[in-house]
Amino acid sequence: MRNKILTVDDSKTVRIIVRKTFKSYDCEILEAANGVEGLALAAKSMPDLILLDVTMPVMDGVEMLTKLKSDPQLKGIPVMMLTAEGGRDHVLKIAKIGVRDYIVKPFEEDVLVEKAGRIIDLKPLVDGPAKARSLTDPATILVVEDKPAIIQQIQEGLKHTPWKIVGAATQGEAIDYCSKTPPDLVIVSLSLPEESAFALFRLLRTNVKTKYTPVFGLVVKTETGTLQQAQTVGFTTVITKPIDCSDLESRIAKAMNLDTSTRYFGIEEGFFVFKMPENCTQAVLAEISTYLKPKLTEAVDAGHNRAIINVSALKTLHMGVIKQLVQAMQLCRDASVNYVLVGNAQLVSECKGFEETRTWSFFETMDEARASFGKAAPAAPALATA
Amino acid sequence: MPADTQEISETLIRDNITRAVCDVFKTMLQRTAKLDQMCVSGGPDACPPALRDENLAQKAQVVGTVGFLGEINGLIYLYFDANFAKDCTGHLLGMSADEVTEAGDEVINDAIGEITNMTVGSFKNGLCDQGYPCKLTIPSILRGSNFSIEPISDSIRFIYSFDTQGERLVADIILKVGE
Repeated sequence: MRNKILTVDDSKTVRIIVRKTFKSYDCEILEAANGVEGLALAAKSMPDLILLDVTMPVMDGVEMLTKLKSDPQLKGIPVMMLTAEGGRDHVLKIAKIGVRDYIVKPFEEDVLVEKAGRIIDLKPLVDGPAKARSLTDPATILVVEDKPAIIQQIQEGLKHTPWKIVGAATQGEAIDYCSKTPPDLVIVSLSLPEESAFALFRLLRTNVKTKYTPVFGLVVKTETGTLQQAQTVGFTTVITKPIDCSDLESRIAKAMNLDTSTRYFGIEEGFFVFKMPENCTQAVLAEISTYLKPKLTEAVDAGHNRAIINVSALKTLHMGVIKQLVQAMQLCRDASVNYVLVGNAQLVSECKGFEETRTWSFFETMDEARASFGKAAPAAPALATA
Repeated sequence: MPADTQEISETLIRDNITRAVCDVFKTMLQRTAKLDQMCVSGGPDACPPALRDENLAQKAQVVGTVGFLGEINGLIYLYFDANFAKDCTGHLLGMSADEVTEAGDEVINDAIGEITNMTVGSFKNGLCDQGYPCKLTIPSILRGSNFSIEPISDSIRFIYSFDTQGERLVADIILKVGE
């Protein structure tokens, strides 16, 4: 549910700055120019937070605060003062009436967000459900590890991705980095001295900018106690050393909720191309299965009715792969999409050994496959199970 | 009872206004400000030419005013050259020069009023913490050129000019003497 923030200030400038400050967070900003308007709007909309100025015409902030706190319906609404009035005595007097926090102008937008985030659950605004981030989008991953060789290993292992891997040797360095540019994901070595990995995790979770950032723990496989502790406190996942960078990449993609379909599906030169990877594990097949139908539908919607199923990278044929290919071909037929297969010699040979695949025909290259569509009828393989 | 303005040292005024201007310009406008000229009326030093009444507002100016009332009473005027006021407004609100022009003078007035409010607030909070409690008044704006401020006779005037990365900002402080 969206948070509602009511800003009560006679200055339109301040109200615009407040709106600008929270524009990247999922909240609605309501505005009032004085205490009378502020009280009326508070009663009508029951905001989750009120940002209140002191010096205003008609009814000032102190009077509005006093009335708000004496109204049983409204007294529970948290109020944060945002005012140029900041003498010690004055602040103490207002604090006694009951405010959750006090910001004296001039103020930095980050401070306002940080303090508001302590009172309400501020969630960063996502770009919209239709445009999910994909594997090809850049992202920043902060690795907090006091052993440079590990950071280097991760950088090396993920260098084929568009992700920027940044290293920090200590908790302090990591906090400094996060305060300037909040990363998309943090990997923390659980072996940092004096349990600082856990202290850092708590700080990341209490800071509004990193509250929802996935945080991975990194630990030697035999350190089961530490591993369990990390899982208990809420680390997104724990990666064990020695690091399997391929597994790490998959987990990062999952944690950042990335659209990984580009690994398998694409539109190339007007053709819908479904490419099976070298090693089709159960996890890979499950991922392909999730994307197959929506991606094919998307292609048809975009006007592409020709498909190439490219399995030439595949090392071995097994029942999981066969089922997946049968499903892909069936979906193409159902959607009236013409399709052909591209495969390597070993695969063609292995296909002869299965009842379901013995009649399948393959092109050797993508060029040949594309050229076949120029002819009257493309050579779509028969479906034994269809 | 209001404090006798004579008790308040020029150093206290100068330090407070310098801190306030530097703080507001750095925090809200990401500009550095540096005190470059000053003048105390009735003091032994004559005002530098740029700070004399007849020269303060020669060009088109937007002038923000906020008062403070309590143990110490006074008014502060902040002089912005019209183009500088426009530039500050754009920066403060995240608007381009064209957008500020389209938005009109009301938006500039409000932004300069708020910058003045923050600056005078910061100045007077310093006075409060040093034993002179007072409250702010609501900002108001003057616009024009070739005008001068005529303080009442029982007042003392301090004028400070700041260089804010090539643009001049003048703070004209008028303190009421005695009750």
